[in-house]
Parts: sequence; structure tokens; C-alpha cells
Amino acid sequence: MQAAAMKAATRHPRQARWAHQGFGVATPFAGTVRLSRATRDLATRYLSGEIGRAVQPTAFAVDPAWLATAPTPNRHYAEAVRLIAAQAPLRILPGERLVGAATLREAAQHLTPATPFRSISHTTLGFEKPLRIGYAGLRAQIAARLARGGLDVAGVDLLESMTICLDAATHWHARHVAALERLVAEARGDERRNYEQVLTALRPVPEQPPQTFREALQALWMLWDFQRLCGNWSGIGRIDKMLGPFLARDLATGAITLDEARELLAHFWIKGCEWTNGQGHQMSEGPGSGDAQFYQNIVLAGVDEQGRPVANAVTDLVLEVVEELHISDFPIAVRIGAATPERILRRIAAIQRLGGGIIAVYNEDRIPRTLTAFGYPLEEARDFANDGCWEILIPGKTSFGYQPFDVLLLLQEVLGLSATEPVARHEKVECGEWRTHSPQPGMTERFPDFEALYAAFRDRLAAKVEELTTTVPFLDLPCPLLSLLVDDCIERGRAYTQGGPRYTVRSPHAGGLADVVNSLLVIRRLVYEAHEFTLERLVGILQSDWEDQEPLRLRIQRDFDFYGNDSAEVDALMQRVFNDFTKLVGAVRERNGALRPAGISTFGREVSAYRPHRTATAAGNRKGAILAANFSPSPGTDKRGPTAVIRSHCAVDFGRLPCGTVLDLKILPQSVKGEAGLQALMGLMRSFVQLGGIFMQTDVVDNDLLRDAQAHPEKYPNLSVRISGWSARFATLSKNWQDMIINRTEHG
Amino acid sequence: MNLPSGDRSSPGACSRPDETPSGTVFDIQKFSIHDGPGIRTTVFLKGCPLRCLWCHNPESQDSLPEISLIASKCVGCGQCVQACPLNNHVMGAGGERIFHRARCRRCGACAENCYAGAIEVIGRTMSVEEVIADVVKDRAFYETSGGGMTLSGGEPMAQPAFSGALLRQAKDAGLHCVMETCGFAAYNLYATLLPDVDLFLFDLKDTDPARHRENTGVALEPIVENLRRLDTAGCRIWLRCPIIPGINAVETHLAGIASLAGPLTHVERITLLPYHPFGQSKYARLSIPDPMLPCRAEPTDHDMDRWRNYVANRTTIPVDVS
Ligand code: SF4
Ligand code: SF4
Repeated sequence: MQAAAMKAATRHPRQARWAHQGFGVATPFAGTVRLSRATRDLATRYLSGEIGRAVQPTAFAVDPAWLATAPTPNRHYAEAVRLIAAQAPLRILPGERLVGAATLREAAQHLTPATPFRSISHTTLGFEKPLRIGYAGLRAQIAARLARGGLDVAGVDLLESMTICLDAATHWHARHVAALERLVAEARGDERRNYEQVLTALRPVPEQPPQTFREALQALWMLWDFQRLCGNWSGIGRIDKMLGPFLARDLATGAITLDEARELLAHFWIKGCEWTNGQGHQMSEGPGSGDAQFYQNIVLAGVDEQGRPVANAVTDLVLEVVEELHISDFPIAVRIGAATPERILRRIAAIQRLGGGIIAVYNEDRIPRTLTAFGYPLEEARDFANDGCWEILIPGKTSFGYQPFDVLLLLQEVLGLSATEPVARHEKVECGEWRTHSPQPGMTERFPDFEALYAAFRDRLAAKVEELTTTVPFLDLPCPLLSLLVDDCIERGRAYTQGGPRYTVRSPHAGGLADVVNSLLVIRRLVYEAHEFTLERLVGILQSDWEDQEPLRLRIQRDFDFYGNDSAEVDALMQRVFNDFTKLVGAVRERNGALRPAGISTFGREVSAYRPHRTATAAGNRKGAILAANFSPSPGTDKRGPTAVIRSHCAVDFGRLPCGTVLDLKILPQSVKGEAGLQALMGLMRSFVQLGGIFMQTDVVDNDLLRDAQAHPEKYPNLSVRISGWSARFATLSKNWQDMIINRTEHG
Repeated sequence: MNLPSGDRSSPGACSRPDETPSGTVFDIQKFSIHDGPGIRTTVFLKGCPLRCLWCHNPESQDSLPEISLIASKCVGCGQCVQACPLNNHVMGAGGERIFHRARCRRCGACAENCYAGAIEVIGRTMSVEEVIADVVKDRAFYETSGGGMTLSGGEPMAQPAFSGALLRQAKDAGLHCVMETCGFAAYNLYATLLPDVDLFLFDLKDTDPARHRENTGVALEPIVENLRRLDTAGCRIWLRCPIIPGINAVETHLAGIASLAGPLTHVERITLLPYHPFGQSKYARLSIPDPMLPCRAEPTDHDMDRWRNYVANRTTIPVDVS
């Protein structure tokens, strides 16, 4: 019925306009249009990239004479924040129902404007506390801590710098109030009324705790976006938990209607696209991993600290807004479990079916248990959110970092394989050093049986885990503004980067597991069981990238059931590798001041960082192939559909993986048509939970459509696809990344 | 009339009473969601007594495994030439590739050696236990979605002993069981299965007897008779009606569906299936002339809507389009 819906859309004047404005979805939205024309027009404007492209580089600098007095880094940082608040351009658009804007280009480039400092991402700050006590409460808390004494020099320096940052935030707020007052005086009619309403909601917050839903939403925006203005990309976290009580109260007193609340939330979503430029990530680097990757994640539903279900009117409104506007910039993860209401699952399925992978799901019934087993108190475990992708953490209390490494590369090393031309890495986060080894003769003797080979591989893995878990997690990066919103930085007088947070987490993240297991399977069967050739011979074949061995390569690809096909043999091998990895990491729960929960991911490194270092694999891949993403099957190897993929994925015990992982599913639109299709998507989610998975992102998308979008990007400016923990507009991805998405096996 | 009956089970099946039979299966498809309720695993059995002109699964018709050749996948490696004991694969001097299918004994040796995947054997003999072991793996998905196992084909009743045993074992394993059938089998064969079938997807190709015989190769009457008897026996039934432009997409047939189903008490829904030229390329792979060529018109969504309404206006049974 896809074509029918499309035809209906072009006949319907409201929806026709919609279609022309480029809200590209895999399956046209046929639901109810609830938002006002003005709000949808505003969305179009933001999504076109017009607003993002207008964001200019910082035009002011910290006074060099003052810098010459050698202030501490914290003071240097705080001075920059003061300048930003005083001088960054404001952007208040007519018709917008919230104000505040991150108007400095460096901020979108992961830098702290007007400083030489990098900024911080991969965390979710604690917005609940300032919503409860306001800036005023934070200021009082800092003053009380300073008065209590016992801080060292660094602690006093930090807290004083925090106060400067707070004052700056207050100034930024005051500039908006003043500007709105002017606009109110100048404007007439509806425009004036709108400015008045914006001003009324803005005036008390976030200095004082919000009293209404609208004030709370405005306060949350200001809290979050001022961090962004200064370069810090935080996740939002549990928006329904934070805002639901305000909305419930306002609805009960009749102060607001659901329709009004939905419009307001829509503006939050729309403004969240303020850095979208339709071109590529970070505004200056050109197409790469997309223009929507600012880790602004939302977590919905689940339980609160006391174990009460969170889902409320805000949960539903968020889902409605996302369904209608199809904005992928806030990737959403819904915590679902056996108790999740049918209504919410249906809505998730309906949004998934629109494509774009905007909504993913967490296993509510599994994760808190895993976290308490790891050692978090139950209340905190129940409050889990993520770092902006999907790595599990306790929001507002965690300094998070992950340490990605390629397990396939370790296996290559053991086999003496090396990619001939090592290529320099371009990575945002720390990464294990690459080693290259030349092929070692005598391998057949050294590894007389599979167990000998496996033992060498496990030893190499153990050495890598040891190296990663011995790192010192602290950094000399000033961040007093960010530290304001993380417990217990104020109490300890230590910054986010210096052990101030209740938890500092450094999580080793293994990548390439599917390809390791596939390779080991082939080696075990063909070298050690069937004795078709020696290990040395196989290594020679791989080093030469399957030269003259096409029949063998094709036979392997044809005849083996690799990871993701619900095959007991390969799943058992995966369990073995998984158990060894998680056992090695699990042995070091905490070291050098950091918790060390295990995780599994690639985050696109199968396209970027890892790929140049990978040789041909025993599983029949040529050098340079795009291999498995995260904890998903290797592209093209999952021949038996999504249920088999989920079963293989869930064959390991995820209770051993406290930082989490992700399963990426790609499903063809025509296979989930109609009511039966909705039921099927719901069934996949329910089963995933029942089978004990952690996090699943489902992208309903058609390769033909993606190929068309690759050839004609202008036709699909807002077509979103799931990458890994975030979604990106397809047109803003580089060809490599586009190919990776197309290469994922589609099911249906 | 030449109905398959109990003692004429499929040549691929072995049905001595003392052991569970094996049968010829050409696909086991998981995550099937349009073959009955919920997430299902559909087991496609090989062999069908009908020869519908529009068949989109021509590989299901013959009851024996057969050799499929996808010429576009052939890399010209010559492995098949070496492998075939009867020299059925020939590489012509001009590079053209010849397959003498008429001489082929379907031993599968060429397919085994065709690593490029150009030659494949369609259909393999499986035991009931093998099939069920694969089907039960997705139990979690059936339970959360109200799904289960669907037997399809081909025609499951062309391998009655095998189908019966599959259904029995699936039922014993607690699975919801659906059987799709073209209705062309001796009723006594259906009768033995009834306790194990939760729902029939009953295909009704045409309601005009002459056209039915002409386009499917078999008579309509026994099919209608079976439909009525299953209904009388209290079986839940979903009618599935392929709509083929130029053949049965006519109002008399649409009205015929409604009037046939009307008096039946256990038909829960009628699904109109628009003709898709999916099977087109499959004919070439099997070197079977495509009987529908050259008329290959796909009904539009608009047509389907109109026809759906036409039927819906003549019956109280829900009518949908799949
Ligand atoms: S073995 Fe397969 S790929 Fe090779 S020539 Fe024969 S058909 Fe072609
Ligand atoms: S199936 Fe056997 S007989 Fe037929 S072509 Fe292949 S090798 Fe020859």
C-alpha cells in the first residue's frame, strides 16, 4: 500500500506540501497531522540547514594581556564562558516558542569557543537537579561547599570558576530577557503575543526552579543549550521523567492542553536541529558520518529510582512529535520490558516503520539487574541512560569514556597477518596502537591444533585488556561549566575530568567479534578438522588477498553458516570468545579510579579506523571489505532473517556486559506492511527483551531507495538512516558511510 | 478427475508406517508475516497438482528436487563442466553456456561445485525432525506475536504423510499451525489433519469452472467441495484469492467469491492477492516457458482497492488486500 499512501499524500494539500519539503521517509507518514502549520514550517526551515549554515565562527577572544597573567586553566576557561555569554550572537526567530541558541561554530566542532580547549561529549549531564533547585540553588551549593572548607587549592579554583560560569549563564539568560522585552515592545498582534508568552516562561528560569511545564521545558532547553553553546555535547536523558510531573500538574489544573504541550515539545525538537547544515558533520569537514551526530540522545519510559513506571503524557507526546516531524537529530531509546503498555510498543513500531532508525529500544527487564550485579546501587541502576549513543551509564553522575579496539586485528596479529600499508588514524577517541607483524614461519608447528591457536588468541586479547584497563582516566582538560551538572564534582571539588563525578568509567569496547568468530569457525573446520590445507597455507592465501583462490573463497561464503544464522556451532564459538572477553574485563571492576565495565561496539570503525588495518579474513572477505558493525552479523552473512539474527545475538549472557552493546537490524519496508507488519515489529521487540538482548535499533529501509538517494541526494534531503547509536541524514554521509548502510543485509 | 489420494503420496516422500516420513522441502522461511497471524516460519513443500499460469513459485511445482541455473551469476569457471558425469554443461566455443536439461538426472554434482552460486539444487529431502527442530527455534517470536508454523508450497497435500507428521509434531511442540492449501486433494486426507491445523489459508483461484480448468489445469468442483466440507467440519478458514488482470479480474468472479463464501460460517476473512510478476525470472532459471508471457500487467493499488470494495459490498466477511 506504499504507493497508494504516496498518491494519497500528493492529493492531500497539507501532505503534498510536506512531501515537497523533503521530509523523506522510507514509508510515507500516513498518520494524523497534529502540529500547526507554523510549527511544521519552522521544522522545514531548520531541517533545510538554513539555520545551521548561518552559524558563524567566534568573533571575540580572551584578552591576551589578561592571559599573560597566567590564569589557571579553569579561570581561563571560565573567562571564555563569560565572554561567550556576553558576546555570542542571540537568535530569536518569530514564531519560536522557546529561546536560546548555540550560535558559535566552534561549539559544533567539538571545541570550546574562544579557547584552545577541546570540549566534552559522550555523557548525559544531570538536568534533574537544576530543574529542582535552579541556578540559584547551584550557586548556594557551591557557596556552602566553599564555606565548609577543607578544599585544596585546585578545588577552590574549580568552585570559583564554576561560580563565574554560573554567573555567565545567568547573564546569557538576562540578555535573552532584555531582547525579548524589546521585541515585545516593537511587535504587534500574534507575533507580540508569542514573544510575551516566551518571555513569561523564560523570565524565572533556569535561575529559579520551574513551576509549569512550559517553564520546565524552557529551563531544560537553556540548561542544555548553554552547555552546547560552550561546546559540550550532552545527551538529554530521561525527558519524560524530568518533565512528566510538570505536565501532569498543568493538565490537571487546566493550565495547558495536550495540543499546546505537543507544540512546545515540537519546538524543542526543531531547535535541536540548530546545527544541521545539510552538508556534513561539524560544519567544516564535508560529508562524513552525517550532520546530525551531536549525541543529543533521549531516553524514554522505564522505571524511576523507586521502581515506579515513568511513561507519562510526555512520553506519548515525544513519540507523536517524532512520528510527525521525523526529526532524527534526537535519537530516541525507549526502555521496554514485559510490562511496557501495548500502546507505547505500537507507537514505536509505527515510527520504526517510517524508517530512519530514530527509535531504538533498551531491555528494561535486563539492564538494571546487570548494573546492580556490576555494583551500582539499585536506585541508580534504575535511572540508567546513556552517553549520547547507547553506552549505558548513570546520568548526571558519570564521567564516561570508552576504549575501542579491534579484536579482528588481534587475531590477525596472532596469525602474523598485516595490512601492507598502515594508514594514519583519524579518531576522536583514544584507540589502541596498531602493530604490524610479518608472517611467521613455523605457524603450523606452533599451533598444532585449534586449542593452541585459540589460546594464543586469548593471550593476545588478555594483554590488550590489561593494557586498556591500566590506563589512567584523568585528563588536564578544564571543564568547570560541565562539572556544575555532574554529581559529586562540587562536593569533591574535582572536575569532570579529574575524578569529580561519582563514577568515572572507562569501558573497553571490543569490535569485530562476528568476524573473529566467523574466521575461527572456518579455520577450525577447514584447517583442523577437514585438513584441507595447513594454517600456514591459509595465512599465505589471506596475506595475498585470496589471489587465485576465488573458488575456495566463494565456497566458504556459500557453505558456512556464519554468526547471525541461529547456528548452534557458531553461536557456541561466539559464547566462548564473548565469555573470555567479558571475564578478562570483569576481573578488573575498578582500577586507577575508573570503573571498567565491558562493552562491544564498532561505531562505524568498520568503515573508518579499523578497515585500513584489516587483511583478508578466513571467512572469505577480501581486504578492505566492510565487515560487521557493533555486535551485529557481518554484512551479507545473515541469510535467515531477523529472527535468526536476534537469536544468535542473544545467545550470549548479556549480564556480563554492563556497558552494553547494540544489534542493528535492517528490515525491508514491504515486509512490514499493514497491521501484520506492525505486529511483527512489536513481536521482534518483545522477543528481543524476552531473549535477554540489551539494545536494538531497527532501520526499516529499502536498498533501492538508498541507491536512488545516493545518486540523487537532492530528492531526499531529510532521509535518515541509523548509523550506530545515532541517525544521520543519508545525503550528508560520505560515500563510504553510505555504502556501509547499503551493505547491511536487509531482511524481509 | 485425478485427485492425489492417500496411497499416492509424493514421490519424494517415504511413508512407511513405522517411521516418520521425510519429504521434499524447497524453503524454510523465517519471519514470515503474511502467511497467517503473527511472526511465522513458513515451510514450503515441493510439488503441486495445479499449474496456474500466474504461478510465482514455479520451483514448487515439480515434486522432485530440480536444478536452477541463474545465468547472470555464472562466472564461466567451468567447474560444472568437469563435475557433470553426463556432460550436460557445455561451454561453447563462443563463450556461450549450454545446459542440456533434458538429459539431467538431478544428481546435484554440478551445483555442489558451482561456488559462484549460479547452479543450485532447489528442494531437498528433510526429515520431519529436521524441519521441526528448525521451526521451534523461533518459539519466542511466535509466543510474543501470536505466530507459529505455516505449511505452504507447492501444495502440502501433495505430500500428505509428511505434512501430517509435520503438523502433528508442531502441535505436540505447542505451536500454532496454519496450512495453506489449493484445496485439490481427497477430503479424507484433510480429515486426518484437522486436529492439528488451527487455520487454513484456502486458495481460491477462480470461481468460473471452465476458466479454472483452463488456467490451473484442474477442475474447480472438488476444490469447492473441500472448502465446504472443511467449513462444515468447523475449521477456521481465511480465503486467499489471487487477482490476475486479463484472467480472473472480472466482476463475475469477484461476486462469485462473495457468494461462495457468504453461506460458509467459518471463513473469517477474504484476502485478495494482487498478481506480481515475481516469478518471471524463476521460469528462466528452470528453463520452463513462462506461461503468462507476454501479458504481465500488475494491478494498481487503485484497482485492488476497487475490487476489494466490490467484494466487500457483497459479503459480511472482512475483505483485505495483501
Ligand atoms: S560452475 Fe557455476 S559459475 Fe562455474 S561455469 Fe558452471 S555455472 Fe558457471
Ligand atoms: S545435476 Fe547432475 S546430471 Fe544434472 S547437470 Fe548437474 S551434474 Fe549433470
